[in-house]
Amino acid sequence: MDWTEQELQAIVDEHALVLFMKGTPNEPQCGFSNRAAQVLQQLGEPFAAVNILTDPRAIPSVCNWADFPTMPQVFVHGELIGGSDIALEMLQDGSLREMFDTGRDSN
Amino acid sequence: MVAVEWVESEVLKAVPEALVEVIDLHGSGDHFHVRIITESFEGMRPLQRQRMVLAVMKHHIPSPIHALDLKCMTPKQAETAGDTAFDPHGGGRGIHINRINRQKRE
Repeated sequence: MDWTEQELQAIVDEHALVLFMKGTPNEPQCGFSNRAAQVLQQLGEPFAAVNILTDPRAIPSVCNWADFPTMPQVFVHGELIGGSDIALEMLQDGSLREMFDTGRDSN
Repeated sequence: MVAVEWVESEVLKAVPEALVEVIDLHGSGDHFHVRIITESFEGMRPLQRQRMVLAVMKHHIPSPIHALDLKCMTPKQAETAGDTAFDPHGGGRGIHINRINRQKRE
């Protein structure tokens, strides 16, 4: 893994839900990453978690590629929705479920 | 380390008409919860709203601002929003926002 734009795009193309995070869902290294992982767990759908602390190149690469300056980042059907604050908001208002289900039907 | 007043003034560069409430989550001047309320968010998706704010704030991340938790709301949404800010190091506990005092000050 060299964190190229092609590799990152392939990850979000392959998985309907992707979480770029500090640490892992079981051992999050940041409260925001933990919150994002919990949101996706509450959604109840399988998601791919990418630990961006495994390689110092990861954070600048992902942030440049996504044009978003902070971690974590949540992707639904290849589209960035934002960080843990937006993920939680969208879980609570139902739009995360709606976006997930809509994309699944059209794919 | 930066002050809440500085964060507020930077956010206002991006969203001049907004009501901006900044909370220094740990008193350390680098972890902030910011609540931004403006009519101009109407009709925009959450990420679009944040991108507006981040256009200015991204230049201050990861230094001097290490963590930035944004809540971008329309005035209508703010009416029903809770008064608790998420604390990433709070072990699941939130921080109460004393918004009533804040509004009295203005």
